[in-house]
Amino acid sequence: MSPEPPEPNTTASGLVSPRSPEPERPESGPRRLDPDDLSHPTGTLATGGARAATHPTAGAPSPRNRRTLLAPLPSGAVESRHTRPPGRRRSLRERIALALQERFALAALLALPLGIALAGPFLPVADGDRTQPFDPAAPWPGTDYLGTSVLDGVLDGGWGIVVTAAAATALAFLVGLPIGLVAAATRRRWLDEMLMRPFDLLLALPSLLLMLLLASIAPPTAWMLVLIVALVNLPDIARIVRAAALETAHRPAVEAMWLQGESWWRTSIGYIARSILPTVAADAGVRLVGAFYLVAAASFLGVGAGPEASDWAVMVDVNRGGIFLSPWGVVLPAALLVALSVGLNLLFDRLLARKAAA
Amino acid sequence: MLPYAAKRIGLGAVQVLAVAVLAFALVELLPGDAAVALAGDQPDPANIARIREQMHLDEPALARLGDWLAAIATGDFGASLVSGRPVAHLLATALEPTLILAGLTLILVLPLAIGLGIAAARRRGRWPDRLITTFTVGLYSVPEFALAVLLVSVFAIGLAWLPPTAVGVPSLLAEPAVLVLPLLVLLARPICSIARLVRAGMIEALDSEYVAHVRRAGVSERRVVFAHALPNAITPATAQIARTADWLLGGVIVVESVFVIPGLGTALVDAVNARDLPVVQGIAVVFGATTVLVNLAADLVAFRLAPRLEVAR
Repeated sequence: MSPEPPEPNTTASGLVSPRSPEPERPESGPRRLDPDDLSHPTGTLATGGARAATHPTAGAPSPRNRRTLLAPLPSGAVESRHTRPPGRRRSLRERIALALQERFALAALLALPLGIALAGPFLPVADGDRTQPFDPAAPWPGTDYLGTSVLDGVLDGGWGIVVTAAAATALAFLVGLPIGLVAAATRRRWLDEMLMRPFDLLLALPSLLLMLLLASIAPPTAWMLVLIVALVNLPDIARIVRAAALETAHRPAVEAMWLQGESWWRTSIGYIARSILPTVAADAGVRLVGAFYLVAAASFLGVGAGPEASDWAVMVDVNRGGIFLSPWGVVLPAALLVALSVGLNLLFDRLLARKAAA
Repeated sequence: MLPYAAKRIGLGAVQVLAVAVLAFALVELLPGDAAVALAGDQPDPANIARIREQMHLDEPALARLGDWLAAIATGDFGASLVSGRPVAHLLATALEPTLILAGLTLILVLPLAIGLGIAAARRRGRWPDRLITTFTVGLYSVPEFALAVLLVSVFAIGLAWLPPTAVGVPSLLAEPAVLVLPLLVLLARPICSIARLVRAGMIEALDSEYVAHVRRAGVSERRVVFAHALPNAITPATAQIARTADWLLGGVIVVESVFVIPGLGTALVDAVNARDLPVVQGIAVVFGATTVLVNLAADLVAFRLAPRLEVAR
């Protein structure tokens, strides 16, 4: 039919379950029927036809319009699924401009906090002398609870959170991927059960609670935080990998490889693991955002990477007392955390949507 | 329904038991001598001996596990190592603010999330949908404390509309203004995830044959949406509502800390920082059991709504 590109700005189309019909499918009949029209079944055909004919673009000889004009609607057309309210149409140029705008907004949202987090520790900033805590007279953005400049803390404080979250996600996948894969690829049911059952119990606990419990008995170091966040993320990863791999493991190709006597390694690593990679990559984004959330929350609650580490979350915590005197010490790190989280969310959602559209 | 319910309740009971055992195992997992590790800052022999005696650390682990399970079954969680007060008593006093927060959130979250989801789905592709979708995707896993602090600095300090913390408030319900910001923060995450799912389900339902059919039959649009499309659209969201319990409890911990509300979350964080293990264990059991119960209820509701979907757990 008409080569209409899918609207680029329905960002969440990846969320629509794959069973749902394509949003734009100009099949037959009056494309845009009003639900009000449809509530009067007798008037439907006439109104629909008239509407199509008087449509502003109806003069243009696009194939779709010609069809509506020339061929009277077959009675089956009323059965069409296009019963949703009419949306405002945008021209292609408008849509491209909008998509570009969105992309720039997203890039800005991500680049600022990520740039500060990754490059901040290496930026040469003149080490100012310590003044009094929460000094309202200090140059923007003021001083923190120790009297050092908030700017120093902001520049140095992102690195730890971002790296810890990334390391924890990587570690969780490093462990969860083989577990899920083995559980799916094995033909021994007890092994599958033994690997996956414990995760059911872990999933029954709120993740932040689990983290606080583990932190209450573990020494507070950065590595311990990586381990704990990885462990909290592990059950979900193993489940998703297993579900994806199970579907692949029952393909005829795998059966054939098995019958041919291919080695277990070749079947499970060479074929199954490779074919679930896209699913795993899509999930990795979600996990990274989740790990970021957990690391930040842990740091804020004071069970994170030791008291000497000063990341954005810790800054929010320790500078809270002076929020009336020097609000930037709290607002800046909090805003950076929110911007980074929102940016990552939107980015991964967009990637997912593109993958689903492809 | 009944066989499924029985199976699901059995699993829930096992989960509650596992939570209790896990909480107990915390003591065993402590590196080295548990009593020494718990004494922490005050490692004098008298203190260590007191902890060892109070927690019966001399007895074998299995015997202690049996005692611990029997004790919590009767509501006896032991006594705090720091203050010496019974943990059950601590829990009882801290329960009210947490219950108020969680209860109000649960009451508000469903109408708001479903309303947003329906609004977005009915205006698919237009600006209300794009706005709602961007917000729900973006705010999906924003750290609650950062959001809370930003809201406080805007609405409590910048505009001075609302009180910044709950310090000095005798009861949360006595001054509802105190509750506004905490509730906003607590609602953000569950609303986002549920609204997304409701939107996706609604879009699918509104495009379906049966909706087209009831529309042709002359049914009013309101009835089409609420009586025909919504019940089918909401089933996928039910499982997510169960996950909400998880976030809600996590969120309560953070939100109580930011707004200085003396609830279970604050008690838990204080106990973790003070290595007051009996209190940590008690709160863990309460939180874990609550999560399991909510999950259980949500699964049963989901099964009742759509029995054909065996909700695999």
